[in-house]
Amino acid sequence: MKGLLRYLVLLAVVVLVAAACSSDDSDSGTTTTAASTETTAAPSGDVTTIDFWVGFTDYRLDWSKETAAAFNAAHPEYNVQVTGFKAYNDVWDATVLAVDSGQPPALIHFFEAATRQALDAVTPDGDPYFKSVTDAVAGRTEILGEPVILDSVISAARNYYTVNGSFYSMPWNTSSTVMFSNMDMLKAAGITEPPATWAEVTAACDAIAALADGPSSCITWPNHSWFVEQSLGQQGELLANADNGRTGRATEVYLESPGMLAYLEWWKSLSDAGHYLYTGVQRDWDGTTAAFYAGDVAMLIYSSSDTTAINETGTESGFEVATTFMPRNGDVDYVGNLIGGATIWMLGGLDQVTEDGTLAFLNFFSNPENAAAWHQLTGYEAITTEAIDLLVSEGFYDENPANKVASDQLAAAKNTPASLGALLGNFVGIRDVITIAIEDILVNDLDVATRMALAQEEAQKSLDEYESLFGG
Amino acid sequence: MAGLSPGVKRKGLARGRSWPYHISLTVTAFVIAFPLLYAALISTQTNAEIFSFKLTPGSSLMDHFEIVWVTRDLAGAMWNSTVQSILVTVGKTVLALLAGLAFVYFKFRGKWIVFFLVLITLMMPTEVMILAMFRLVSGFGWQDTMAAIVVPFLASATGAFLFRQHFANLPAELLEASQIDGASPLQFLTKVLIPLSWNVIAALFVIQFVYTWNMFLWPSLIIRDESRQVVQAALQNLTNVGGSLTYGPLMLAAILASIPPAIVFVLMQKPFMSGFAIGQQK
Amino acid sequence: MLILGLVIAAVLGPLYVWQNNDNPTVKRYGIGSAVAVLGAAATPLAMGRCAFEEGSSGVDHLLAYSLMAGGAWLGLIVLQFLFDRVDGKAAEGAAMAGEIRTGGFRMGWWVPWVLLSPTLIILIVFLYLPAIQTFTLSTKLTRLGAPKSVDVCFGNFTELLITDPWKLVAYPLLAVAAIYGARFWLHHSSPNTWSRKGADVASVFAMLSIFVALYAMFSPGGGGQVAYRPVYLNTVIITLGIVAFGMIGGLAVAYLAFRKIRGATVYRTFLIWPYAISPAVAGVLFFMIFDPTAGIFTHLMDSWFGIDVPNYRENAVLAQASIILASGWKILGYNILFYLAGLQTVSLDQIEAAVLDGASTWQRFTKIVLPALSPITFFLLVTNLVYAFFEVYATIDFMTKGAPAGKTSVAIYEIIRIGVKNGDLGRGAAQSVLLFVAVIAITLWQFRSTGERVTYGGA
Repeated sequence: MKGLLRYLVLLAVVVLVAAACSSDDSDSGTTTTAASTETTAAPSGDVTTIDFWVGFTDYRLDWSKETAAAFNAAHPEYNVQVTGFKAYNDVWDATVLAVDSGQPPALIHFFEAATRQALDAVTPDGDPYFKSVTDAVAGRTEILGEPVILDSVISAARNYYTVNGSFYSMPWNTSSTVMFSNMDMLKAAGITEPPATWAEVTAACDAIAALADGPSSCITWPNHSWFVEQSLGQQGELLANADNGRTGRATEVYLESPGMLAYLEWWKSLSDAGHYLYTGVQRDWDGTTAAFYAGDVAMLIYSSSDTTAINETGTESGFEVATTFMPRNGDVDYVGNLIGGATIWMLGGLDQVTEDGTLAFLNFFSNPENAAAWHQLTGYEAITTEAIDLLVSEGFYDENPANKVASDQLAAAKNTPASLGALLGNFVGIRDVITIAIEDILVNDLDVATRMALAQEEAQKSLDEYESLFGG
Repeated sequence: MAGLSPGVKRKGLARGRSWPYHISLTVTAFVIAFPLLYAALISTQTNAEIFSFKLTPGSSLMDHFEIVWVTRDLAGAMWNSTVQSILVTVGKTVLALLAGLAFVYFKFRGKWIVFFLVLITLMMPTEVMILAMFRLVSGFGWQDTMAAIVVPFLASATGAFLFRQHFANLPAELLEASQIDGASPLQFLTKVLIPLSWNVIAALFVIQFVYTWNMFLWPSLIIRDESRQVVQAALQNLTNVGGSLTYGPLMLAAILASIPPAIVFVLMQKPFMSGFAIGQQK
Repeated sequence: MLILGLVIAAVLGPLYVWQNNDNPTVKRYGIGSAVAVLGAAATPLAMGRCAFEEGSSGVDHLLAYSLMAGGAWLGLIVLQFLFDRVDGKAAEGAAMAGEIRTGGFRMGWWVPWVLLSPTLIILIVFLYLPAIQTFTLSTKLTRLGAPKSVDVCFGNFTELLITDPWKLVAYPLLAVAAIYGARFWLHHSSPNTWSRKGADVASVFAMLSIFVALYAMFSPGGGGQVAYRPVYLNTVIITLGIVAFGMIGGLAVAYLAFRKIRGATVYRTFLIWPYAISPAVAGVLFFMIFDPTAGIFTHLMDSWFGIDVPNYRENAVLAQASIILASGWKILGYNILFYLAGLQTVSLDQIEAAVLDGASTWQRFTKIVLPALSPITFFLLVTNLVYAFFEVYATIDFMTKGAPAGKTSVAIYEIIRIGVKNGDLGRGAAQSVLLFVAVIAITLWQFRSTGERVTYGGA
C-alpha cells in the first residue's frame, strides 16, 4: 500500500503516454473517422475541410454522415466532416462560441423558429454570421458538377425561409403536423373516418369514452408551441405584427388573438373532459408516441417527420394507423398549415474554394436521390419537386399513401403571412412562455384568457428586450 | 487515530447470529440496486419487449452492444474518460496534499483568508460560468485537447479541506521528529504524511474519480472532435429525443459506463475501510 | 442618497475600530473612517452610481446600500487585520484555520506560497475570473451573440424580489429578531423548566421564520416575469428533501452494512454502485420505473394489486418526491461510503462499556455512534447541499422538465433554462449570483452553528 501513490503517479504517466500514442494511432488509421481527417489532409495539402454541425444524434445523424461520405468520395478534394449535437440550441451555442474564437464551421443546422435569431447574429467585427445561399449561388445552375436545386425547393419551405426577398438557408428536414389515428379503436366506437375538425374530434372522443374497454384517454399531442402556431395558421391568425414579421421586423406579439384563445379553449375542454392526455412534460415527443403505441390514446397529433416510424410501429403493435390532416377549427375558413423543421445555414467569410465546395455539398445533400431517400427513411418532406417526381415514378406514394399526407396538406395551404409562420426575435423564449402558460392552464385548471394575458405581457417584454439589443 | 490502527480486528458493534444481517442486507442491496438491475434487464430487450414488461431477458444484448460499443464508439469515449479521470484525480490529490501541507505546517499571513477563498470555490455555480470559461480556455487554444478537460479541474477545495483536517489531527511530534532529522517539507510529506493518509487519499480518489467521470456539460462544449469526447457526452447522445429513443442501448451504455467507477470503489475499499474520520482540533 | 450612505459609513467606520481595538488612537479612527467610506464607495462607483439615478426604485437603493455596507465591512475587516499585525496580535482567524500547535517549518515566507501556488493559480484563472465576469454580466441585459448589451443596474435582481423596499427590509429583520429572541430566551431559562421547553420549540420556529421571510421576499416581480417565488420554495423543498433522504438513508444503510460479515465487499459494492451513475442517467432510470406508460413500477402496481398509480408529473407532491428519490438515490451511495468508513472509527471500548451498562441499541446509537460520526456528518452535510443545489439539473430535465407547472423547477434548473437554453445571459447570471450568495450564507451558518457543536476527535 505504501507504493500506492507512486503507483498512481506511474499510472498517470502511463496514461499520458498512451493518450499521446493513441492520437498518433489515428494518424496511421485508414478509417474515415473525424480524428483521421487532419492527417489525411496534411500530406496531400489541398484537401479542404468543410465542418457541418448537425442537431441530431440518432439515425438521422448516421444518414448525414453517410451522405457526406458519399460526397467526399465523389469530390476527393473536399472533406465534409459532420458533427452531431443533442439539440438545435446546442448547435447554436457552439456556433456562437466558435465564431467568437475565430474557428467557425462552414455549415450549421438550425431550426425554423430561430430564423430571425440567425439573421440577427453578428460577429465581433459586426458582420452577419451567415451568407444567403441564393446570393452565394449567384445564378449558377451547376457547382463543381452538382446541379443546383434551389429553384425546385417546394414552395412552402422556400417561402418560409425567404427573408427580404432572399432565400437564405437550404431547407433540409421539413415537416408539417398531421394526425395519426388508431383505426381499430375508432371503428370500435363506430367511427369510420378520422375526424377532420375540432368538433368532430370532440364527438369522436365522446364516442370512444363511452366504449366499455376503450383507452384511458382519447387523444394526445406534445405541449409544444409549434402546434399552437399551426392552429393559428389554419385559422389565418397572425402571431406577430408586420405580417408575422415578414414585411418588417416584428415588434408586437399576439398571444391573445381570438384564434389563439379558441384553440386553447378547445384544448382545455378536451382536457377537462378527460379526453386529452397530458403526459405532464413540455415538448414531450417520446411520451406522446409511447402513449399512442401503448394504446392509451386513439389519436395522436404529431409531426409528419415520424410518419414512417409511427406507421411501422403501429402495424407491428397490431393496429391499423390512419394518417390524416391536422384537425382544424370548423367554424372558420381554413387558411393553411405551416412547415416546421430546420435548414442548413452557410457561414459567411468562407474563401472561394471552401464556399464552392460547401454549396456543391448543399446541393448534393438534397439532390433528388438523396432527398427521396431521406423522405423514405424518416417521413420529412421530399424537399424538391424533382424528388417528389422521383418518388411518384418509383411508385412509393402508391405503396405508402401516409407519406403523401403532409405534402398534400402543405400544398392545400393558401400562401398568406399567417400560413407562412412568424419570424420573431427571441422566438425560443416566447415559445417557452407559451408552453409554460399552457401547462399552467391544463394542470392548474386556470382560465385561458386570464393566463394568456399574463403570457402576453411576458412575451411582449421578451420581444421588446430582444429588439432593444438587435433591432435598429 | 483510526488511520494509525488499521490492523485492529473487531467483530463489529453488535454480536450474534449473522443471518439476519445477510437477509436484511440482501433486501436492502436489492432495493437500492433495483434501478440498475432493471436497467441491466432492459439492456437486453427491444422497445416492444420493454413496453410489454417482459421480466425475462430479451435476445438483443449483442445487437445493442454492437450499436453502443462499435457504432457509437463508447469504448473510445470510456478510454478518454479514463485518461481524464485518472489525470484529474492524481493531479488533484497531489495539489491538495501540497495545499494541506502549507495550511497546517506553515505559518503565513492571510492564511485563513486564503483557506476561505479555496473553500468557497466549492459553492460556485460553475454551470453558469461555463461560457466565460469557454472563452478563456479556447483563448489558450485548448479546444479539443485533453488539457481543456483536465487543467481547469486540478484544484480541489474538498481535497484541501480533507487533508487540512487530517493533518491537523496527526500528532505534533511527527513534525518535531522530522525536523530533528532535517527533513525538507517535501520529504516530510512523502515519508511521513502520505503513509499516514492513505484513507483520505482513497476517499478523495473515489470522490474525484466519480466527479470527473460524470462530467458532462463542459466536455460537451469544449470537445468537438467525437473521437476525443468523454463518456457522459457519448451517453447523452444515446438519449436523443425525437421519437426514436430506444432504451436498450442507452441502458446498456449506462451500465457499462458505471463499471469503471465501480472498479475504483472495489480497489479503494481496503484503505478506505480501514477507517476514516474528519477531525478538527478542539 | 449616495452621499447619505457615505456619511453613515464615515461614522460607522470609527465605531468599528473602537469596538475591535484595545487602545485605538485618533489616527486609527481617521483611517477607519476613510477606509469605510472608500469601501462603501467602491461598489456604487464601479457600477456608475446607476442605482441612484432617476427612475430607480426603492429596492434598487436598498440593494445598493447593502452592497455599500458589504464593501465598507470588507474594508474594515482587512484594516483590522492589518492593525492586529501591527499590534503583534495573532489574528483570531488563524486559530480557526487550524494553526498547528508547535509551530511549523521555519523557512522562507515564500515556501507555503510555492506549495499553494498551483492550487491558487488554477482557482483564480478558472474559477474566480469567470465568476467575476458572471457578476459583471448580472447587471446587464444581453444575449448570446448580441451586438450590444444594455446596463440594467440591479434590474435583473429587483425583478426577482418583491417591489416594496420596506417589506424587503422588514421580513429579514423580523426573522433575525425572532431567532435572536429565541436564543436569548433559550440561554436565560434554566434547564428542565417549562419555559426552557417552550424556548426549544420557539427556537425551531425562529429558524423556520427565516425561510418564511425569504419566501416572502421572493415574489412575482413586475413586468410579467415568471414568478421566482415557486422556484425559491421548490428549491428549499427539493434540496432539503434530497439532503434528508440521502443522509438519513445513507446512515441507516451504512449502520446495517458496516459489520464485518462474509461477503461484505459484495454487499457494499451493490450499495455504493448508484453513486457511479451520472445525474442524467439517474433521471432515465427512475423515469423507466415510474413513468405512467413505460414504468415498471406503475405497471406492476396495476397488474399485481390493481392500483392505478397516478402520473407523477401531474401532481406537485409526487413530482417533487420522485426528484428527491432519484437524486437522493444517487447521493445515497456517497453517504454510505463515508459513513461506512466513519463507523470503522467508532470506539469499540465505549460501546462495550455501554452494553455492560445495559444501554439499549437505540441509546448506543444516539449516545455513542452519532456523536462519533458528527464530523463526517458535517462534512457530508456541506457536500450533499452542494450536490442538491447544483447537480440536479440533468435529473430534473429528464424526469419532469420542471413539471407540473414549474413545481419541480429549482434554482439551478431555472438558471440553465434562462441563462443557457434561452440565451438570456444577464438574468441567468443574476440568478446564479443569488444562488451563490445563498449557498455561501447557508454554509457559513452551518460552520458557525453546526461546526461549533460537532464533536471533533480522531477516535
